[in-house]
Amino acid sequence: MLELWHGFSATAQDVVTLCALALPIAALGVVLPRGFAPIPLIRAILWRFRWANALFVLLIAVSVGLGVALLAQERGLRAGTAAAADKFDLIIAAPGSEVTMMLASVYLQPADAGLLDGVTYASIATDARVAMAAPLAFGDSYQGAPIVGTTAEFVTHLAGPIAQGRIWGDHADAVIGADVPLAVGDGFEPAHGVGDVAEHDAHGEEFHVVGRLAPTGSPWDRAIIVPVETVWETHGLANGHRPEVAEQLGPPFDPEYFPGTPAVVVRATSIGATYGLKSSFARAGETMAFFPGSVLASLYAVMGDVRQAMSLMAVVTQILVAASVLLGLFILSQLFQRQMALLQALGAPRRFVLSVVWGYANTLVVAGAMLGLIIGFASVAILSDIVSERTGVRVVAEIGWSEFHLVAGFVSCVSLLSVVPGFAVLSRSIVSGLRA
Amino acid sequence: MTLSLNLSDLMVTAPGGRVLLNVPSLQLAAGQTLGIAGPSGAGKSTLLFALAGLVDNQRGRVRWGGDDLGAMRPAQRAAFRQDHIGMIFQDFMLFDELGGAANAGIAALFQPRAARAHFRKRAAERLTRLGVADGARPVATYSGGERQRVAVARAMAAGAGVLLADEPTASLHRDAADALTDDLLRDVRESGTTMIVVSHDAGMLGRMDRVVYLRDGGLADA
Repeated sequence: MLELWHGFSATAQDVVTLCALALPIAALGVVLPRGFAPIPLIRAILWRFRWANALFVLLIAVSVGLGVALLAQERGLRAGTAAAADKFDLIIAAPGSEVTMMLASVYLQPADAGLLDGVTYASIATDARVAMAAPLAFGDSYQGAPIVGTTAEFVTHLAGPIAQGRIWGDHADAVIGADVPLAVGDGFEPAHGVGDVAEHDAHGEEFHVVGRLAPTGSPWDRAIIVPVETVWETHGLANGHRPEVAEQLGPPFDPEYFPGTPAVVVRATSIGATYGLKSSFARAGETMAFFPGSVLASLYAVMGDVRQAMSLMAVVTQILVAASVLLGLFILSQLFQRQMALLQALGAPRRFVLSVVWGYANTLVVAGAMLGLIIGFASVAILSDIVSERTGVRVVAEIGWSEFHLVAGFVSCVSLLSVVPGFAVLSRSIVSGLRA
Repeated sequence: MTLSLNLSDLMVTAPGGRVLLNVPSLQLAAGQTLGIAGPSGAGKSTLLFALAGLVDNQRGRVRWGGDDLGAMRPAQRAAFRQDHIGMIFQDFMLFDELGGAANAGIAALFQPRAARAHFRKRAAERLTRLGVADGARPVATYSGGERQRVAVARAMAAGAGVLLADEPTASLHRDAADALTDDLLRDVRESGTTMIVVSHDAGMLGRMDRVVYLRDGGLADA
């Protein structure tokens, strides 16, 4: 049985799970009203108490919507942060915190880090297994956008061909990420540092924007990228090349004139080579090498508990909502106690009365859940925009199967439980109902 | 099919044990009309509900034809009501959102699918006979007299042999009450239905074949 299950595609498993979760409501929907026609009465009751019903549907919708939106958002954030690290196969840096270096190089979060010297860089760049070794240089910014120094090769590796304009040809040229509020042809003067502590007019250099990159979905979309040589020169350091070739941009760099880099982004010739390089450059006290993907996975594992807690909270919230819905249904069923007593006085079978109460309750719950999904879709879009705006990581959160499963489970549970108010209506004295 | 009533040793008690109704014997031939009069709180409506098998704490025998309601389980009593008993209430008890015809034929909703259309047709015919022409209009827009006619059509739509009416004219002005009484009795007589009416309306009680008085839960001399 388990083998058969594992033989299904993921989509087939999701569809089967959804059907299984929806089975109770479908079964009750078939069995309870079988042979009866309760819909006109359900419609009449819905219309009679339309404002109370609308409020009830809205309450269910908001709670369901927020629940699914939070789950989808959490998943979208994980996918977004992972996608942002996609192009960073291997990072080699001075020994320290892998998390800090990953945040600095992939997500461009300011960090203090040791530097790799020219000899170390050369040993990386000249390794036969290395296809690309791009040094990074941080430290400056313009109007909040970090200025990052690197090589043209890495820019192409990161964002593909330049979307507009061209790559730099001169030390004062810059290319901008897709979301930087500058235009090709603009000039700007960088500030030293990033954020509130940035010193304006510290360098007196002027950069010219010559190209704009295609979107990458990472914080690099908000960065201004310049030749690494320029960052070094701006800070009064050697620019990585001998004086006679001082105008050169990009590798090879001369170890003697290499001022140091906090991190080198490495692309290996093969996957096997990537692992080999990681092993070679994970040298205690000299260098550390890590896969950003693995560091992220470790972070997710640590945060997994938080995620599980979130999921549990979402489920508990839904249970509380279900309990409130049930209580609400008890209260609402009081409103039409007389009508139900009348039906019984007219000789309606108990199952018919039950099907009316159940149909009424389920119309509210299903309508609330459907509206909740719509609210969820809208909330996810809004939350994604906010998170993307705050982090620079493009978060594409979508309502997925797990949200549909959550909603189907919620609807089914409430559907089963909403038989209880129906029995409560039936357990009341008919005469009391008629006199109510 | 019209049914006779044979009631014996009927006792209804409140949950606390207080006796609400104690009727040792009451008979009514099939097709006869019976009025139940008496002061408010005497137990008239309770007797009517007991005759319909709606009261929880009732003992004794309520035989309609050969069937004893007291010996039936709730589901059987419901089925018996559906087939044999029509009920009319003082305040009509209609679904205001539905039209007159839909209200008159409401029991079609729990009839077998094959019988629904025929049931609705009969209900619509009853309604027309009672002078309610526009059956599609929501009953909330009807006059009191029209609403009670819809309730009468609903009670008689199934061709029940027994009609139990609780103050059917109490919510109507005099002319409407008299007109309803005329139409109700005409239909009952024509169909040979056994009818029991709880009422304070002397005009209606005066036209019953028989009237009994209820006082403090028991039958009393007039």
